Amino acid sequence: MGFVGYNVNRYTPRQMMVVPAVILLLSLALLGFNMASFGMPVRPGIDFSGGTAVTLFTPDSAEQIRASFSAYPLLSVGEGVNNGKYLKFGPMDDASLQALATDIGGRYPDAKIDQIGASFGETLQQQALIALIISFVGMTIVVFIAFRSFVPAGAVVLSAFADIAMTAAGMSLVGIELSLATVAGLLMLIGYSVDSDILLTMRVLKRQGKLEEKLAGAFRTGIIMTTTTIVAVAAMWVVALVGQITVVWEIATVLLIGLFVDMMNTWLTNAGIIKWYVQKRGGK
Amino acid sequence: MSMEKIKTIVSHWQVALMLILVVLAAIAIAPRFEDGKFTTNLQYGLDLQEGTWLQMEFKAVVAGFETDKDPGDFAKAIQNQTDAEVYVLDKNKIEIRKYIPREDLETVFNTAGGRLTSYEQGVSKQTAEDVKRILENKLNALGTKDARVNPLVGLSGVSHYIRVELAGVSMAQAKEIVGRQGKFEIRIHTTGNETENVLYGDSITTVGVPSHDSPGSPVWGVSFTLNQDGAEKLQKAAIRTGAVSKPDAHYLDMLLDGKVVYSAPLSPDLAAKLAQEPIRQLYASTGTGDAGLRDAKNLEIHLRAGALPVDVVVAGSGFVPAELSDYFKLMCVVAFIAAAIAVGIVIFLRYREPAIVLPMMATNLTEIVILLGIATFIQQLDLASIAALIAVLGTGVDQLVIITDEILHEGKVPSPTLYTKRLSRALGIILVSAATVIIAMVPLALMDLSSLRGFAIITMIGVIIGVAVTRPAYGEIIKEILSK
Repeated sequence: MGFVGYNVNRYTPRQMMVVPAVILLLSLALLGFNMASFGMPVRPGIDFSGGTAVTLFTPDSAEQIRASFSAYPLLSVGEGVNNGKYLKFGPMDDASLQALATDIGGRYPDAKIDQIGASFGETLQQQALIALIISFVGMTIVVFIAFRSFVPAGAVVLSAFADIAMTAAGMSLVGIELSLATVAGLLMLIGYSVDSDILLTMRVLKRQGKLEEKLAGAFRTGIIMTTTTIVAVAAMWVVALVGQITVVWEIATVLLIGLFVDMMNTWLTNAGIIKWYVQKRGGK
Repeated sequence: MSMEKIKTIVSHWQVALMLILVVLAAIAIAPRFEDGKFTTNLQYGLDLQEGTWLQMEFKAVVAGFETDKDPGDFAKAIQNQTDAEVYVLDKNKIEIRKYIPREDLETVFNTAGGRLTSYEQGVSKQTAEDVKRILENKLNALGTKDARVNPLVGLSGVSHYIRVELAGVSMAQAKEIVGRQGKFEIRIHTTGNETENVLYGDSITTVGVPSHDSPGSPVWGVSFTLNQDGAEKLQKAAIRTGAVSKPDAHYLDMLLDGKVVYSAPLSPDLAAKLAQEPIRQLYASTGTGDAGLRDAKNLEIHLRAGALPVDVVVAGSGFVPAELSDYFKLMCVVAFIAAAIAVGIVIFLRYREPAIVLPMMATNLTEIVILLGIATFIQQLDLASIAALIAVLGTGVDQLVIITDEILHEGKVPSPTLYTKRLSRALGIILVSAATVIIAMVPLALMDLSSLRGFAIITMIGVIIGVAVTRPAYGEIIKEILSK
């Protein structure tokens, strides 16, 4: 628990917010750059761009696999422990697809195959975007109803937004593609990120006592909360990595990045704003 | 802990409710050994069970229109131009059972004397349900034991995709089953129980939806048309056997794959007409009331010989082999146990007090058991929902931490009034965060992103159980345990 050494009361609101603000700008720049190159803020995986994913266990090397499937648009061969391989193919027509399925069935009868057509992928893309927007707007409404006060509610919404933007940028840095699973992870973050923000805001605004004490108390509780979630997700991450469960591993990675980013956004961005807000109101 | 204490704890209704639910959940899950293998009532989705999924796209369009004409006439005009089956859904929407790009359809609408106001690929919910019924009939007939067919209906009520999940079936088999058509035949009774062939299913050109034989009549039935060749065959057979003069002695049988699915005589009216000329437009009546309608629906399916009323193409598909699904299942259990242990360790490091850590973990696991119990009824578990389950484990503990810290302000258990105030404040924080999680998950639960629905539903149920049952119960337990 390395963050425990951090003293939430040591810095001024301005100092607290500088770091996250810079990171947020960099993240948005990266997402914008991706948008220009792929048409999406994070490189889309086969769920959205169409294609075929194959999970199999074989001692064959990546080169051997590449050679075996040279007739098909093989994009990448991911290798895990336990001889796990994760093959990605680009979009192809029905006949090649059928041939590929037969081919894989013949060579590796225990392979898991998932295929998404290009137009289906496009529908999924639109739907995922709509889901993300509705979730975010819904969260904003709930937060505003709960606090009925502009600055505190705005701070919570801003840090949730920063969480998502920074996590998406983080995904892009570690090379995780946008898929149905990772969109689910991002949506989950909307829920997670407000957890500690709400605790912080409620404690500071609705409790009696000194601002410093309330901040410190909220920090103590909040950090343990995020830590428990992080260890649960980290355990899932390790098992999924070793066990080659791509879907779970992707969700876990997104959640892990998001939770660390959320620690920063809660205890720097949101805490900074709320501190500034209370001090400005002549807070005690 | 003394018996006395346990009694006091259980006497709180929140705790009692939680215990009752966990027992019910355990009964619902019903873990047991059958034939030496461990089984439960949990339903597994395709990642965790061998099988194939096919997501199929409807090659049809639901379009909105504006016209000064009668909607029925307008639909006829569209039908003639496009050579597709066209149905009026309501006074400004029609379903065209053929894929026509938007630009082309606009032209068609203009020519027919109307205007296109909306365009969406897919079919009406009603048609999607028909397709579902036809597919289910086919799958049942083939004895596929675990098949799920779900049309994905969007927010506008139009279904663009239908998803079929077949447990224990390979992808090639699945595609064959879905695409396979039955053999349809009409035979006529000659003498006694002897019958002879009149025509096969290839003579049937169109099949209508169940309708009344004439407006206002209580009788249900299905209309269908024959091609010229079929109509002539029917006329010849009717004249040769004498059915035109004595219809009741020469019933017509309809057979699907050799099984009689419908049997009736020619109506006197039709018999008289057939004596004169071949008839292409026919109507098979099935009776009155709900039974008549039900039979008409089945007859429609049989007339189509298992062919779908709308063309579909495979938009996405997947296959999970048995070996891999068993392995995934095992890994999920390992991941879950690892997560639970990791959470337990962190909680212990934070509080270093078994009297807090044990009830916390117990409450948390109880929540998971109740969640799984509910899931046996409504949700199959797949990899994404297992990820949600582990995430629920994480958030669940989070919120128990909030309660503990709120109540144990400065490490002491407060007086009852202060306790109630603090507990309700903690529950207030939890309620707001629960509301945001639920709101964030609603779109996923409602939308077509089929494989994520499980993730969203498990998360939402988990949060609801937490807020409604386990967290209030934990509040009571921790109070009783810590107050001396």
